[in-house]
Amino acid sequence: MASFSQYVVKETTTNLWRNRVTTAAAVFTVMISLFLVGASLVLGQGASNAEIKWQQGTLVTVWMEPGASAQEIAAVQTQLDAFPYVHGCYYRTQAQDYEEAQHLLTATELSVLKPEQIPSSIRCIPNESQDAKLVIAKFSGQPGVFGSPTAPIQYLKTIQRVITTAQYAVLVVALVLLLSSAVLILNTIRMAIFARKREVAVMKLVGATNWFIRVPFIFEGLVQGFIGSALAALFIWIGEAFWRVRTESQSPDGLLHQMLLSNWQLFWCETIVILLGMTIGSIGSAIAIRRFLDV
Amino acid sequence: MPIGALWRPEIMIKLDHVTKTYKNGTIALDDVSLEIEKGEFVFLVGSSGSGKTTFLRLLLREELPDRGTIWEAGRDIVNLPKWRVPYLRRNIGCVFQDFRLLQNKTVFENVAFALEVIGRPKSVIEAQVPQVLELVGLAHKRDNLPSELSGGEQQRVAIARAFVNRPLILLADEPTGNLDPKISEGIMSLLDRINKSGTTVVMATHDKALVDRMRLRVIELDHGTLVRDQHRGVYGIDGDGGVQR
Ligand SMILES: Nc1ncnc2c1ncn2[C@@H]1O[C@H](COP(=O)(O)OP(=O)(O)O)[C@@H](O)[C@H]1O
Ligand SMILES: [Mg+2]
Repeated sequence: MASFSQYVVKETTTNLWRNRVTTAAAVFTVMISLFLVGASLVLGQGASNAEIKWQQGTLVTVWMEPGASAQEIAAVQTQLDAFPYVHGCYYRTQAQDYEEAQHLLTATELSVLKPEQIPSSIRCIPNESQDAKLVIAKFSGQPGVFGSPTAPIQYLKTIQRVITTAQYAVLVVALVLLLSSAVLILNTIRMAIFARKREVAVMKLVGATNWFIRVPFIFEGLVQGFIGSALAALFIWIGEAFWRVRTESQSPDGLLHQMLLSNWQLFWCETIVILLGMTIGSIGSAIAIRRFLDV
Repeated sequence: MPIGALWRPEIMIKLDHVTKTYKNGTIALDDVSLEIEKGEFVFLVGSSGSGKTTFLRLLLREELPDRGTIWEAGRDIVNLPKWRVPYLRRNIGCVFQDFRLLQNKTVFENVAFALEVIGRPKSVIEAQVPQVLELVGLAHKRDNLPSELSGGEQQRVAIARAFVNRPLILLADEPTGNLDPKISEGIMSLLDRINKSGTTVVMATHDKALVDRMRLRVIELDHGTLVRDQHRGVYGIDGDGGVQR
Protein backbone atom coordinates (compact mmCIF):
# COMPACT_ATOMS: atom_id res chain seq x y z
CA MET A 1 0.00 0.00 0.00
CA ALA A 2 2.90 2.30 0.78
CA SER A 3 4.26 1.70 -2.68
CA PHE A 4 0.84 2.38 -4.21
CA SER A 5 0.52 5.76 -2.53
CA GLN A 6 4.08 6.57 -3.57
CA TYR A 7 3.17 5.56 -7.09
CA VAL A 8 0.03 7.74 -7.11
CA VAL A 9 1.92 10.76 -5.77
CA LYS A 10 4.70 10.29 -8.31
CA GLU A 11 2.30 9.88 -11.24
CA THR A 12 0.17 12.82 -10.16
CA THR A 13 3.05 15.25 -9.75
CA THR A 14 4.49 14.17 -13.10
CA ASN A 15 1.15 14.71 -14.81
CA LEU A 16 0.46 18.04 -13.14
CA TRP A 17 3.90 19.28 -14.06
CA ARG A 18 3.68 18.03 -17.64
CA ASN A 19 0.43 19.97 -18.14
CA ARG A 20 1.34 22.85 -15.88
CA VAL A 21 -0.16 25.63 -18.01
CA THR A 22 -3.58 24.04 -18.34
CA THR A 23 -3.35 22.93 -14.73
CA ALA A 24 -2.70 26.50 -13.64
CA ALA A 25 -5.67 27.72 -15.70
CA ALA A 26 -7.94 25.12 -14.14
CA VAL A 27 -6.74 25.86 -10.61
CA PHE A 28 -7.14 29.60 -11.17
CA THR A 29 -10.71 29.22 -12.40
CA VAL A 30 -11.59 26.96 -9.51
CA MET A 31 -10.15 29.58 -7.18
CA ILE A 32 -12.10 32.49 -8.65
CA SER A 33 -15.38 30.63 -8.80
CA LEU A 34 -15.10 29.24 -5.30
CA PHE A 35 -14.03 32.60 -3.94
CA LEU A 36 -17.30 33.96 -5.30
CA VAL A 37 -19.25 31.03 -3.89
CA GLY A 38 -17.58 31.60 -0.53
CA ALA A 39 -18.23 35.34 -0.64
CA SER A 40 -21.87 34.64 -1.35
CA LEU A 41 -22.04 32.21 1.58
CA VAL A 42 -20.40 34.72 3.90
CA LEU A 43 -22.77 37.48 2.79
CA GLY A 44 -25.81 35.29 3.30
CA GLN A 45 -24.63 34.23 6.71
CA GLY A 46 -23.87 37.84 7.60
CA ALA A 47 -27.31 39.01 6.53
CA SER A 48 -28.98 36.42 8.71
CA ASN A 49 -26.70 37.31 11.64
CA ALA A 50 -27.72 40.95 11.31
CA GLU A 51 -31.40 40.02 11.05
CA ILE A 52 -31.26 38.09 14.31
CA LYS A 53 -29.50 40.91 16.13
CA TRP A 54 -31.86 43.59 14.82
CA GLN A 55 -34.95 41.59 15.56
CA GLN A 56 -33.87 41.13 19.14
CA GLY A 57 -33.67 44.90 19.57
CA THR A 58 -36.54 46.12 17.39
CA LEU A 59 -38.01 49.32 18.68
CA VAL A 60 -40.66 51.38 16.97
CA THR A 61 -40.14 55.05 17.42
CA VAL A 62 -43.15 57.38 17.10
CA TRP A 63 -41.61 60.81 16.55
CA MET A 64 -43.62 63.78 17.89
CA GLU A 65 -43.58 67.26 16.29
CA PRO A 66 -41.11 69.48 18.14
CA GLY A 67 -44.06 71.79 18.79
CA ALA A 68 -46.59 69.09 19.76
CA SER A 69 -48.79 69.96 22.70
CA ALA A 70 -48.84 67.93 25.88
CA GLN A 71 -52.43 66.81 25.10
CA GLU A 72 -51.39 65.56 21.69
CA ILE A 73 -48.52 63.62 23.21
CA ALA A 74 -50.75 62.19 25.93
CA ALA A 75 -53.40 61.18 23.34
CA VAL A 76 -50.90 59.28 21.24
CA GLN A 77 -49.47 57.65 24.34
CA THR A 78 -52.93 56.50 25.51
CA GLN A 79 -53.69 55.05 22.10
CA LEU A 80 -50.37 53.22 22.03
CA ASP A 81 -50.97 51.75 25.48
CA ALA A 82 -54.32 50.42 24.26
CA PHE A 83 -52.84 49.10 21.00
CA PRO A 84 -52.88 45.26 21.25
CA TYR A 85 -49.69 44.68 19.21
CA VAL A 86 -47.51 46.63 21.59
CA HIS A 87 -46.52 45.59 25.05
CA GLY A 88 -44.74 48.61 26.41
CA CYS A 89 -43.92 52.23 25.65
CA TYR A 90 -41.92 55.01 27.16
CA TYR A 91 -41.64 58.72 26.45
CA ARG A 92 -38.37 60.45 25.69
CA THR A 93 -38.14 64.20 25.92
CA GLN A 94 -36.57 66.49 23.34
CA ALA A 95 -33.54 66.85 25.61
CA GLN A 96 -33.09 63.09 25.86
CA ASP A 97 -33.38 62.69 22.08
CA TYR A 98 -30.89 65.53 21.58
CA GLU A 99 -28.45 63.73 23.80
CA GLU A 100 -28.88 60.54 21.78
CA ALA A 101 -28.40 62.48 18.57
CA GLN A 102 -25.08 63.72 19.90
CA HIS A 103 -23.88 60.10 19.83
CA LEU A 104 -25.24 59.30 16.42
CA LEU A 105 -24.61 62.45 14.39
CA THR A 106 -21.42 64.21 13.35
CA ALA A 107 -20.40 67.61 14.72
CA THR A 108 -21.37 69.41 11.49
CA GLU A 109 -24.78 67.81 11.46
CA LEU A 110 -25.27 68.74 15.12
CA SER A 111 -24.16 72.33 14.59
CA VAL A 112 -27.26 73.08 12.48
CA LEU A 113 -29.62 71.45 15.00
CA LYS A 114 -30.90 73.08 18.13
CA PRO A 115 -32.32 71.00 21.00
CA GLU A 116 -35.73 72.58 20.51
CA GLN A 117 -35.82 71.46 16.85
CA ILE A 118 -35.39 67.80 17.80
CA PRO A 119 -38.61 65.79 17.97
CA SER A 120 -39.48 64.12 21.21
CA SER A 121 -40.43 60.46 20.85
CA ILE A 122 -42.40 57.54 22.18
CA ARG A 123 -40.48 54.27 21.96
CA CYS A 124 -42.51 51.06 21.83
CA ILE A 125 -41.62 47.41 21.94
CA PRO A 126 -43.86 45.45 19.57
CA ASN A 127 -44.98 41.93 20.51
CA GLU A 128 -43.42 40.59 17.31
CA SER A 129 -40.88 42.39 15.21
CA GLN A 130 -43.20 42.37 12.19
CA ASP A 131 -45.92 44.14 14.28
CA ALA A 132 -43.80 47.27 13.90
CA LYS A 133 -45.50 47.72 10.51
CA LEU A 134 -48.92 48.01 12.19
CA VAL A 135 -47.68 50.75 14.49
CA ILE A 136 -46.22 52.60 11.56
CA ALA A 137 -49.46 52.31 9.58
CA LYS A 138 -51.73 53.42 12.43
CA PHE A 139 -49.80 56.40 13.72
CA SER A 140 -48.52 57.98 10.50
CA GLY A 141 -50.14 61.40 10.10
CA GLN A 142 -51.88 61.49 13.47
CA PRO A 143 -52.10 64.94 15.08
CA GLY A 144 -48.79 65.86 16.66
CA VAL A 145 -46.95 62.92 15.05
CA PHE A 146 -43.88 63.96 13.06
CA GLY A 147 -43.69 62.08 9.74
CA SER A 148 -43.96 58.31 10.01
CA PRO A 149 -42.89 56.22 12.95
CA THR A 150 -39.66 54.37 12.16
CA ALA A 151 -38.39 50.92 12.88
CA PRO A 152 -34.89 49.66 12.01
CA ILE A 153 -36.51 46.53 10.60
CA GLN A 154 -37.51 48.43 7.47
CA TYR A 155 -34.03 49.66 6.89
CA LEU A 156 -32.78 46.15 7.47
CA LYS A 157 -35.26 44.67 5.01
CA THR A 158 -34.01 47.01 2.32
CA ILE A 159 -30.41 46.16 3.11
CA GLN A 160 -31.30 42.49 3.11
CA ARG A 161 -32.97 42.75 -0.26
CA VAL A 162 -29.84 44.33 -1.63
CA ILE A 163 -27.67 41.67 -0.06
CA THR A 164 -29.86 38.81 -1.30
CA THR A 165 -29.84 40.21 -4.82
CA ALA A 166 -26.07 40.59 -4.70
CA GLN A 167 -25.78 37.11 -3.29
CA TYR A 168 -27.78 35.57 -6.14
CA ALA A 169 -25.91 37.54 -8.77
CA VAL A 170 -22.60 36.39 -7.33
CA LEU A 171 -23.89 32.83 -7.10
CA VAL A 172 -24.95 32.77 -10.75
CA VAL A 173 -21.55 34.03 -11.88
CA ALA A 174 -19.91 31.55 -9.53
CA LEU A 175 -21.91 28.63 -10.92
CA VAL A 176 -21.01 29.52 -14.49
CA LEU A 177 -17.36 29.73 -13.47
CA LEU A 178 -17.67 26.52 -11.50
CA LEU A 179 -18.96 24.77 -14.58
CA SER A 180 -16.11 26.09 -16.68
CA SER A 181 -13.60 25.04 -14.05
CA ALA A 182 -15.01 21.52 -14.17
CA VAL A 183 -14.57 21.59 -17.95
CA LEU A 184 -11.00 22.87 -17.56
CA ILE A 185 -10.17 20.11 -15.10
CA LEU A 186 -11.77 17.59 -17.43
CA ASN A 187 -9.54 18.92 -20.17
CA THR A 188 -6.32 18.61 -18.19
CA ILE A 189 -7.22 15.06 -17.23
CA ARG A 190 -8.00 14.30 -20.86
CA MET A 191 -4.57 15.60 -21.84
CA ALA A 192 -2.96 13.53 -19.10
CA ILE A 193 -4.78 10.45 -20.36
CA PHE A 194 -3.64 11.05 -23.94
CA ALA A 195 -0.09 11.72 -22.81
CA ARG A 196 -0.13 8.38 -21.03
CA LYS A 197 -1.92 6.32 -23.66
CA ARG A 198 1.00 3.94 -24.10
CA GLU A 199 1.53 3.52 -20.37
CA VAL A 200 -2.15 2.76 -19.91
CA ALA A 201 -2.06 0.19 -22.72
CA VAL A 202 0.92 -1.54 -21.09
CA MET A 203 -0.74 -1.42 -17.69
CA LYS A 204 -3.84 -3.13 -19.03
CA LEU A 205 -1.70 -5.72 -20.76
CA VAL A 206 0.25 -6.72 -17.67
CA GLY A 207 -2.87 -6.90 -15.52
CA ALA A 208 -3.10 -3.64 -13.60
CA THR A 209 -6.59 -3.32 -12.13
CA ASN A 210 -8.92 -0.66 -13.45
CA TRP A 211 -8.76 1.23 -10.18
CA PHE A 212 -5.01 1.18 -10.18
CA ILE A 213 -5.11 2.81 -13.61
CA ARG A 214 -7.82 5.30 -12.69
CA VAL A 215 -6.73 6.46 -9.26
CA PRO A 216 -3.83 8.69 -10.37
CA PHE A 217 -6.15 10.54 -12.76
CA ILE A 218 -8.91 10.93 -10.19
CA PHE A 219 -6.34 12.10 -7.69
CA GLU A 220 -5.02 14.61 -10.20
CA GLY A 221 -8.48 16.18 -10.56
CA LEU A 222 -8.94 16.11 -6.82
CA VAL A 223 -5.63 17.88 -6.25
CA GLN A 224 -6.50 20.60 -8.77
CA GLY A 225 -9.88 21.14 -7.13
CA PHE A 226 -8.29 21.14 -3.71
CA ILE A 227 -5.53 23.62 -4.54
CA GLY A 228 -8.01 25.98 -6.21
CA SER A 229 -10.46 25.80 -3.33
CA ALA A 230 -7.77 26.10 -0.67
CA LEU A 231 -6.58 29.31 -2.32
CA ALA A 232 -10.17 30.54 -2.46
CA ALA A 233 -10.62 29.69 1.22
CA LEU A 234 -7.43 31.56 2.02
CA PHE A 235 -8.62 34.70 0.23
CA ILE A 236 -12.02 34.50 1.92
CA TRP A 237 -10.27 34.23 5.26
CA ILE A 238 -8.08 37.24 4.46
CA GLY A 239 -11.12 39.20 3.26
CA GLU A 240 -13.05 38.40 6.41
CA ALA A 241 -10.12 39.38 8.63
CA PHE A 242 -9.83 42.66 6.74
CA TRP A 243 -13.56 43.30 7.20
CA ARG A 244 -13.25 42.53 10.92
CA VAL A 245 -10.38 44.99 11.37
CA ARG A 246 -12.21 47.68 9.43
CA THR A 247 -15.45 47.37 11.45
CA GLU A 248 -13.80 47.11 14.85
CA SER A 249 -13.57 50.89 15.12
CA GLN A 250 -17.25 51.28 14.20
CA SER A 251 -20.26 51.24 16.49
CA PRO A 252 -21.41 47.71 17.38
CA ASP A 253 -24.88 48.74 16.13
CA GLY A 254 -23.50 49.18 12.59
CA LEU A 255 -24.73 46.76 9.97
CA LEU A 256 -21.29 45.60 8.90
CA HIS A 257 -20.44 44.92 12.50
CA GLN A 258 -23.58 42.97 13.13
CA MET A 259 -23.02 40.89 10.01
CA LEU A 260 -19.63 39.66 11.23
CA LEU A 261 -19.33 35.87 11.25
CA SER A 262 -18.44 33.79 14.25
CA ASN A 263 -15.38 31.56 13.91
CA TRP A 264 -17.59 28.54 13.50
CA GLN A 265 -19.63 30.16 10.76
CA LEU A 266 -16.48 31.12 8.90
CA PHE A 267 -15.12 27.62 9.37
CA TRP A 268 -18.26 26.15 7.81
CA CYS A 269 -18.17 28.49 4.84
CA GLU A 270 -14.52 27.54 4.25
CA THR A 271 -15.29 23.84 4.61
CA ILE A 272 -18.10 24.05 2.09
CA VAL A 273 -15.81 25.85 -0.34
CA ILE A 274 -13.10 23.21 -0.04
CA LEU A 275 -15.52 20.28 -0.30
CA LEU A 276 -17.08 21.90 -3.34
CA GLY A 277 -13.63 22.29 -4.92
CA MET A 278 -12.79 18.66 -4.38
CA THR A 279 -16.21 17.62 -5.71
CA ILE A 280 -15.70 19.68 -8.86
CA GLY A 281 -12.25 18.15 -9.29
CA SER A 282 -13.51 14.60 -8.94
CA ILE A 283 -16.49 15.21 -11.22
CA GLY A 284 -14.19 16.66 -13.89
CA SER A 285 -11.81 13.74 -13.73
CA ALA A 286 -14.59 11.14 -13.46
CA ILE A 287 -16.14 12.42 -16.70
CA ALA A 288 -12.73 12.50 -18.41
CA ILE A 289 -12.02 8.94 -17.30
CA ARG A 290 -15.40 7.68 -18.45
CA ARG A 291 -15.05 9.31 -21.83
CA PHE A 292 -11.37 9.00 -22.62
CA LEU A 293 -9.89 6.20 -20.53
CA ASP A 294 -10.91 2.88 -21.98
CA VAL A 295 -10.73 0.63 -18.93
CA MET B 1 -21.60 -29.48 -18.85
CA PRO B 2 -19.34 -29.34 -15.79
CA ILE B 3 -15.83 -28.21 -16.56
CA GLY B 4 -14.43 -31.11 -14.56
CA ALA B 5 -15.82 -33.57 -17.07
CA LEU B 6 -13.90 -31.94 -19.91
CA TRP B 7 -10.81 -30.90 -18.10
CA ARG B 8 -7.55 -32.73 -18.01
CA PRO B 9 -5.06 -31.02 -15.74
CA GLU B 10 -2.35 -30.78 -18.37
CA ILE B 11 -4.52 -28.69 -20.71
CA MET B 12 -3.51 -25.03 -20.56
CA ILE B 13 -5.65 -23.58 -23.33
CA LYS B 14 -8.83 -25.01 -24.80
CA LEU B 15 -11.10 -23.50 -27.43
CA ASP B 16 -14.45 -25.07 -28.09
CA HIS B 17 -16.27 -24.02 -31.30
CA VAL B 18 -15.11 -20.44 -31.03
CA THR B 19 -16.42 -17.94 -33.55
CA LYS B 20 -15.50 -14.27 -33.57
CA THR B 21 -17.25 -11.73 -35.74
CA TYR B 22 -16.21 -8.08 -35.66
CA LYS B 23 -18.79 -5.33 -35.60
CA ASN B 24 -18.29 -4.62 -39.30
CA GLY B 25 -19.29 -8.21 -40.09
CA THR B 26 -15.79 -9.66 -40.67
CA ILE B 27 -15.67 -13.24 -39.48
CA ALA B 28 -12.16 -13.34 -38.01
CA LEU B 29 -12.42 -16.81 -36.47
CA ASP B 30 -14.86 -19.44 -37.60
CA ASP B 31 -15.73 -22.39 -35.37
CA VAL B 32 -12.22 -23.02 -34.03
CA SER B 33 -11.69 -25.86 -31.57
CA LEU B 34 -8.30 -26.87 -30.22
CA GLU B 35 -6.36 -27.78 -27.10
CA ILE B 36 -2.90 -26.69 -26.08
CA GLU B 37 -1.13 -28.56 -23.32
CA LYS B 38 0.86 -27.11 -20.51
CA GLY B 39 4.46 -26.53 -21.57
CA GLU B 40 3.77 -26.74 -25.31
CA PHE B 41 5.29 -24.41 -27.90
CA VAL B 42 2.82 -23.65 -30.67
CA PHE B 43 3.33 -21.72 -33.90
CA LEU B 44 0.28 -19.96 -35.22
CA VAL B 45 0.66 -19.46 -38.96
CA GLY B 46 -1.50 -18.23 -41.80
CA SER B 47 -1.52 -15.41 -44.29
CA SER B 48 -2.14 -11.86 -43.21
CA GLY B 49 -5.78 -11.42 -42.17
CA SER B 50 -6.27 -15.09 -41.39
CA GLY B 51 -7.15 -14.37 -37.75
CA LYS B 52 -3.91 -14.94 -35.81
CA THR B 53 -4.02 -11.65 -33.92
CA THR B 54 -7.71 -12.15 -33.20
CA PHE B 55 -6.92 -15.56 -31.76
CA LEU B 56 -4.36 -14.03 -29.39
CA ARG B 57 -6.66 -11.16 -28.46
CA LEU B 58 -9.33 -13.67 -27.47
CA LEU B 59 -6.84 -15.45 -25.23
CA LEU B 60 -6.04 -12.10 -23.58
CA ARG B 61 -9.72 -11.33 -23.31
CA GLU B 62 -9.28 -8.14 -25.23
CA GLU B 63 -12.14 -9.48 -27.33
CA LEU B 64 -15.02 -11.81 -26.55
CA PRO B 65 -16.15 -14.56 -28.95
CA ASP B 66 -19.73 -14.44 -30.14
CA ARG B 67 -19.97 -18.20 -29.81
CA GLY B 68 -17.99 -20.95 -28.15
CA THR B 69 -16.01 -21.28 -24.96
CA ILE B 70 -12.40 -20.60 -24.09
CA TRP B 71 -10.65 -22.10 -21.08
CA GLU B 72 -7.30 -20.96 -19.86
CA ALA B 73 -5.49 -22.52 -16.89
CA GLY B 74 -8.71 -24.23 -15.90
CA ARG B 75 -10.88 -21.12 -16.10
CA ASP B 76 -13.70 -20.29 -18.43
CA ILE B 77 -12.44 -16.87 -19.53
CA VAL B 78 -15.48 -15.98 -21.63
CA ASN B 79 -17.71 -15.80 -18.60
CA LEU B 80 -15.03 -14.33 -16.37
CA PRO B 81 -16.39 -11.24 -14.60
CA LYS B 82 -14.84 -8.04 -15.88
CA TRP B 83 -13.07 -7.25 -12.63
CA ARG B 84 -11.20 -10.57 -12.79
CA VAL B 85 -9.70 -9.86 -16.22
CA PRO B 86 -6.59 -8.08 -14.83
CA TYR B 87 -5.88 -11.10 -12.64
CA LEU B 88 -6.20 -13.38 -15.68
CA ARG B 89 -3.70 -11.21 -17.55
CA ARG B 90 -1.18 -11.53 -14.73
CA ASN B 91 -0.88 -15.16 -15.80
CA ILE B 92 -0.33 -14.28 -19.44
CA GLY B 93 2.71 -12.50 -20.80
CA CYS B 94 2.62 -11.02 -24.27
CA VAL B 95 4.98 -9.51 -26.78
CA PHE B 96 4.30 -7.78 -30.07
CA GLN B 97 5.97 -6.94 -33.32
CA ASP B 98 6.29 -3.30 -32.28
CA PHE B 99 7.75 -4.01 -28.80
CA ARG B 100 5.47 -1.45 -27.03
CA LEU B 101 8.17 -0.21 -24.70
CA LEU B 102 7.82 3.08 -22.85
CA GLN B 103 10.32 5.43 -24.44
CA ASN B 104 10.85 7.63 -21.39
CA LYS B 105 11.75 4.72 -19.12
CA THR B 106 15.01 2.83 -18.95
CA VAL B 107 15.29 -0.88 -19.60
CA PHE B 108 15.10 -1.58 -15.87
CA GLU B 109 12.13 0.76 -15.40
CA ASN B 110 10.24 -0.75 -18.33
CA VAL B 111 10.49 -4.21 -16.82
CA ALA B 112 9.90 -2.97 -13.27
CA PHE B 113 6.76 -1.12 -14.44
CA ALA B 114 5.03 -4.43 -15.12
CA LEU B 115 5.50 -5.44 -11.49
CA GLU B 116 4.89 -1.97 -10.06
CA VAL B 117 1.44 -1.62 -11.60
CA ILE B 118 0.25 -4.93 -10.22
CA GLY B 119 1.27 -3.77 -6.77
CA ARG B 120 4.40 -5.87 -6.25
CA PRO B 121 6.58 -4.53 -3.44
CA LYS B 122 9.91 -2.88 -4.12
CA SER B 123 11.85 -5.79 -2.66
CA VAL B 124 10.30 -8.18 -5.18
CA ILE B 125 11.03 -5.76 -8.01
CA GLU B 126 14.64 -5.32 -6.92
CA ALA B 127 15.06 -9.09 -6.87
CA GLN B 128 13.21 -10.17 -10.01
CA VAL B 129 14.06 -7.51 -12.57
CA PRO B 130 17.85 -8.04 -12.57
CA GLN B 131 17.25 -11.77 -12.73
CA VAL B 132 15.07 -11.56 -15.83
CA LEU B 133 17.40 -9.01 -17.46
CA GLU B 134 20.18 -11.53 -16.94
CA LEU B 135 18.02 -14.18 -18.61
CA VAL B 136 17.47 -12.07 -21.74
CA GLY B 137 21.13 -11.01 -21.77
CA LEU B 138 20.62 -7.30 -21.12
CA ALA B 139 21.88 -6.90 -17.57
CA HIS B 140 24.58 -4.54 -18.83
CA LYS B 141 22.00 -2.25 -20.51
CA ARG B 142 19.66 -1.85 -17.57
CA ASP B 143 20.04 1.94 -17.49
CA ASN B 144 19.72 2.54 -21.23
CA LEU B 145 16.65 3.99 -22.85
CA PRO B 146 14.87 1.95 -25.54
CA SER B 147 16.01 4.47 -28.16
CA GLU B 148 19.60 3.49 -27.36
CA LEU B 149 18.94 -0.18 -28.16
CA SER B 150 18.77 -2.19 -31.38
CA GLY B 151 15.47 -3.74 -32.45
CA GLY B 152 16.53 -7.16 -31.22
CA GLU B 153 17.52 -5.75 -27.84
CA GLN B 154 14.22 -3.89 -27.55
CA GLN B 155 12.33 -7.10 -28.20
CA ARG B 156 14.39 -8.77 -25.48
CA VAL B 157 13.32 -6.06 -23.07
CA ALA B 158 9.70 -6.65 -24.10
CA ILE B 159 10.13 -10.37 -23.48
CA ALA B 160 11.71 -9.64 -20.09
CA ARG B 161 8.70 -7.49 -19.23
CA ALA B 162 6.30 -10.22 -20.34
CA PHE B 163 8.15 -12.88 -18.41
CA VAL B 164 9.17 -11.08 -15.22
CA ASN B 165 5.98 -12.11 -13.45
CA ARG B 166 6.55 -15.76 -14.43
CA PRO B 167 3.32 -16.18 -16.42
CA LEU B 168 1.81 -19.57 -17.21
CA ILE B 169 1.36 -18.58 -20.83
CA LEU B 170 3.39 -16.39 -23.17
CA LEU B 171 1.67 -15.03 -26.27
CA ALA B 172 3.83 -13.57 -29.03
CA ASP B 173 2.30 -11.80 -32.02
CA GLU B 174 4.90 -11.83 -34.82
CA PRO B 175 7.73 -10.99 -32.41
CA THR B 176 10.34 -11.27 -35.14
CA GLY B 177 8.30 -9.43 -37.74
CA ASN B 178 10.53 -6.34 -37.58
CA LEU B 179 13.84 -8.10 -37.15
CA ASP B 180 16.33 -9.56 -39.59
CA PRO B 181 16.86 -13.35 -39.67
CA LYS B 182 20.02 -13.41 -37.59
CA ILE B 183 18.41 -11.42 -34.79
CA SER B 184 15.20 -13.45 -35.09
CA GLU B 185 17.18 -16.59 -34.33
CA GLY B 186 18.25 -15.10 -31.02
CA ILE B 187 14.71 -14.10 -30.10
CA MET B 188 13.48 -17.54 -31.06
CA SER B 189 16.02 -19.31 -28.88
CA LEU B 190 15.11 -17.00 -26.00
CA LEU B 191 11.44 -17.92 -26.36
CA ASP B 192 12.49 -21.55 -26.60
CA ARG B 193 14.37 -21.26 -23.33
CA ILE B 194 11.37 -19.64 -21.67
CA ASN B 195 9.25 -22.51 -22.97
CA LYS B 196 11.72 -25.05 -21.58
CA SER B 197 11.24 -23.49 -18.15
CA GLY B 198 7.63 -24.67 -18.31
CA THR B 199 5.81 -21.71 -19.81
CA THR B 200 3.31 -22.48 -22.56
CA VAL B 201 4.16 -20.37 -25.61
CA VAL B 202 1.87 -19.45 -28.51
CA MET B 203 3.65 -17.53 -31.25
CA ALA B 204 1.97 -16.10 -34.32
CA THR B 205 4.50 -15.76 -37.09
CA HIS B 206 5.21 -15.29 -40.77
CA ASP B 207 8.77 -16.53 -40.42
CA LYS B 208 8.89 -19.63 -42.58
CA ALA B 209 12.56 -20.46 -41.97
CA LEU B 210 12.08 -20.32 -38.26
CA VAL B 211 9.02 -22.56 -38.20
CA ASP B 212 10.59 -25.06 -40.52
CA ARG B 213 13.75 -25.28 -38.47
CA MET B 214 12.09 -25.66 -35.08
CA ARG B 215 9.75 -28.49 -36.00
CA LEU B 216 7.26 -27.73 -33.29
CA ARG B 217 3.49 -27.85 -33.31
CA VAL B 218 1.98 -25.71 -36.07
CA ILE B 219 -1.58 -24.45 -36.18
CA GLU B 220 -2.62 -22.85 -39.44
CA LEU B 221 -5.54 -20.51 -39.90
CA ASP B 222 -7.07 -19.58 -43.22
CA HIS B 223 -9.79 -16.94 -43.32
CA GLY B 224 -10.53 -17.68 -39.71
CA THR B 225 -10.80 -21.43 -40.13
CA LEU B 226 -8.40 -23.90 -38.56
CA VAL B 227 -7.01 -25.74 -41.56
CA ARG B 228 -4.04 -27.54 -40.07
CA ASP B 229 -2.91 -28.68 -36.65
CA GLN B 230 0.30 -30.59 -36.89
CA HIS B 231 2.96 -31.83 -34.51
CA ARG B 232 6.56 -31.27 -35.63
CA GLY B 233 5.12 -29.26 -38.48
CA VAL B 234 6.53 -26.81 -41.02
CA TYR B 235 5.29 -23.44 -42.25
CA GLY B 236 3.71 -24.35 -45.58
CA ILE B 237 1.54 -27.24 -46.67
CA ASP B 238 3.46 -30.22 -45.37
CA GLY B 239 4.67 -32.90 -47.70
CA ASP B 240 6.70 -34.88 -45.25
CA GLY B 241 7.18 -35.69 -41.62
CA GLY B 242 4.32 -33.70 -40.13
CA VAL B 243 2.01 -35.57 -37.86
CA GLN B 244 -1.62 -34.74 -38.45
CA ARG B 245 -3.58 -34.59 -35.24
N1 LIG C 1 -10.94 -4.40 -34.79
C1 LIG C 1 -11.33 -4.98 -35.94
N2 LIG C 1 -12.49 -4.58 -36.52
C2 LIG C 1 -12.89 -5.16 -37.66
N3 LIG C 1 -12.22 -6.09 -38.32
C3 LIG C 1 -11.06 -6.51 -37.81
C4 LIG C 1 -10.55 -5.97 -36.60
N4 LIG C 1 -9.37 -6.57 -36.32
C5 LIG C 1 -9.17 -7.45 -37.32
N5 LIG C 1 -10.17 -7.42 -38.23
C6 LIG C 1 -10.30 -8.26 -39.40
O1 LIG C 1 -10.35 -9.59 -38.97
C7 LIG C 1 -9.59 -10.42 -39.83
C8 LIG C 1 -8.50 -11.13 -39.05
O2 LIG C 1 -7.55 -10.17 -38.64
P1 LIG C 1 -6.31 -10.51 -37.74
O3 LIG C 1 -6.78 -11.33 -36.60
O4 LIG C 1 -5.62 -9.24 -37.41
O5 LIG C 1 -5.43 -11.39 -38.70
P2 LIG C 1 -3.85 -11.63 -38.72
O6 LIG C 1 -3.30 -11.27 -37.41
O7 LIG C 1 -3.73 -13.08 -39.04
O8 LIG C 1 -3.30 -10.81 -39.82
C9 LIG C 1 -9.06 -9.53 -40.94
O9 LIG C 1 -9.95 -9.60 -42.03
C10 LIG C 1 -9.11 -8.14 -40.33
O10 LIG C 1 -9.33 -7.19 -41.32
MG1 LIG D 1 -1.75 -9.93 -36.93
